Amino acid sequence: MNDEVTGEEPLGEQSLGDDGFAVELLEEELRQAATILDPVPAQLRQIAVEAFALHDLDARIAELTFDSVVDAIPVRGATDVPRMLTFRAGEVTVDVEVSTHGLMGQVLPPQQARIEVLGGPQTVMPVVADDMGRFTSDAPPSGPFALRLRTGGEVVVTEWLRA
Amino acid sequence: MRVGTVPSAAYDDLPYTRGGAVDRADVGALVQSAVDGDAAAWKALVEGLSPLVWSVVRAHRLGDADAHEVYQTVWFRFAQHLGRIREPEKAGSWLASTARHECLKVLKSSRRLTVTSDPQLLDRVSEERTPEQSVLDSEEAAAESERIRWMWQEFEELGDRCRQLLRVLMASPPPSYQEVSAALGIAVGSIGPLRQRCLRRLRARIDARGAL
Repeated sequence: MNDEVTGEEPLGEQSLGDDGFAVELLEEELRQAATILDPVPAQLRQIAVEAFALHDLDARIAELTFDSVVDAIPVRGATDVPRMLTFRAGEVTVDVEVSTHGLMGQVLPPQQARIEVLGGPQTVMPVVADDMGRFTSDAPPSGPFALRLRTGGEVVVTEWLRA
Repeated sequence: MRVGTVPSAAYDDLPYTRGGAVDRADVGALVQSAVDGDAAAWKALVEGLSPLVWSVVRAHRLGDADAHEVYQTVWFRFAQHLGRIREPEKAGSWLASTARHECLKVLKSSRRLTVTSDPQLLDRVSEERTPEQSVLDSEEAAAESERIRWMWQEFEELGDRCRQLLRVLMASPPPSYQEVSAALGIAVGSIGPLRQRCLRRLRARIDARGAL
């Protein structure tokens, strides 16, 4: 009955029961405190509700296969290093470089593509791409972003990522 | 130590039942409905699992801007992967794990690193008022409100490990141990004993303060 209390403190039977109960109660009090003092901000919850619009079963997801924040050895003393990202969906690879100056990248193998930067459920910004699939944008993404590529008859979307 | 695993299993059996918006058995069904285009099902998932995602982000002590961005990234990615998630009934663990990885990335890109003792959070406790908080400000509730703030301050001053675990555990509805494990990268079996110890430590701090 009271075996949920670990054996580290030799307490009497009564205290064991009280202690076990108090632990549950304290956690519940903390839960109430969190809903009052540190709740999910209402506007964030709303953005998550609206994110349903991002669900697209027809698009292929290009998964993140390289991220310099995680996979690269940091250069000592170097500041403002661009973030290098690689996404892959089957044969299609997208290399992206994000810096404070903007965003540039390349679709591989080289091919024509219409490319958009998504910034959320309601933010879509087309970027200029040449017929080799190289693209640039002067506006660095702030916050979460994804790239949507239309090549041939196919739509590829990169995994959402925080810039 | 062996006895310590007993309550974790028992606790695991009553996951989303305590005042929860999402019953765990329903999560898989809600995900499936959302895949089929049911916006109400998606909304129910957001209502039920948002506090878990937020708790994971807060447990990692990100500043407000980073916390907001990670939270959004997690939900955008969940929407994107909807229909491709292998175990829809474990969507909570998927979200918790994704949130953890994004938090660790933020902490790794050092320029965005925030200090351990986030003064903003403590300020918020005393300065800002959520609607729920305003209710607490009525006279009858003043003492209770004071007590809650005390408790929160003591919680904030716990060691990193305890503070992190308790911040995830206090998601509402209470997370399963699987979700806590995904949120913090710790073994399911160690959560029960650690939880007992951390709550006891907090109790001791509160009692000591009350005795002053």
